Amino acid sequence: MSPHFADLTAGDELPALELQPGLGQVIRYCALIWAFPPFFFDADAAHAVGMPGTIVPGPLKVGLIYRAVEEWLDGNGFVRHVRAAHRRPDRTARPITVAGRVARLYEEDGARRADLELAIINEDGQTSVRGFAVVELND
Amino acid sequence: MPDASLLTDDIRALIGGATPLDPVTVTLRAVRRSLEVYLGADEAERRAARLQPGDAVPGYVIEALSSESDTPEFPALLPNSILISNEWQFERPFRLGEQLNVAFRLLDIAERFGGKFGYSLDFRTETEFSDSTGATVARSGRSMMQYDAAVAGGDGEGGA
Repeated sequence: MSPHFADLTAGDELPALELQPGLGQVIRYCALIWAFPPFFFDADAAHAVGMPGTIVPGPLKVGLIYRAVEEWLDGNGFVRHVRAAHRRPDRTARPITVAGRVARLYEEDGARRADLELAIINEDGQTSVRGFAVVELND
Repeated sequence: MPDASLLTDDIRALIGGATPLDPVTVTLRAVRRSLEVYLGADEAERRAARLQPGDAVPGYVIEALSSESDTPEFPALLPNSILISNEWQFERPFRLGEQLNVAFRLLDIAERFGGKFGYSLDFRTETEFSDSTGATVARSGRSMMQYDAAVAGGDGEGGA
């Protein structure tokens, strides 16, 4: 169900989005941006630079946060701003959860907006990304 | 830590200048490929099939558009680099078929003295997309840190 500005309250939680970005998704991302650092998809290359295995590219993760926000909006608005501050790597093929809550509701330039606080949480309960988003709601 | 700041006048002079990149077009192919990354092939196909020229498209496409041109290289002042943060900002949604002008900027370089990574430099960059009227449509920003792993005492945290 789409969120509506009048029904929202600061503190409302977004539905958790559970994902498991695998090698296939990482390789698609590398192809999209046409950049192929081997440690993203080659375990031996990752070990050679001191990583425990292949990792999810940091820039990809801002899009995962965007996805969580877009799915919550369900068509009733658009994402104006999304930011990801990277705290620790996420291994590929491991479960992660994108969680979030409404931090602030306000009207600005004639638009109804909400600030959202978000996070990507790994399977050990550690926050790997702290996120922030601003959305503009249609109603 | 180096004996003198690595932010010389020559390096500081790079801050703020815009480098025009090749214009880009929001194509159905770019949209579909972006959707495939974030939503999977089936959902990408389903959404792409409904799109008509002029329709608003999901912001994911900014990644495809950002990679259409090679951006200028950072000056490599320290041997290692790591992504600290990245962000997408939209003044309005991209529209299928529109052509956009693109500019790259080095917004700022800041020095950090000490801390987990020792002496380090934060580079903040932005790729800006503007329409035919000159109005900004979107920005993709990134902060990278350069550091020297040989003197850093990290605990495994940091970007990716």
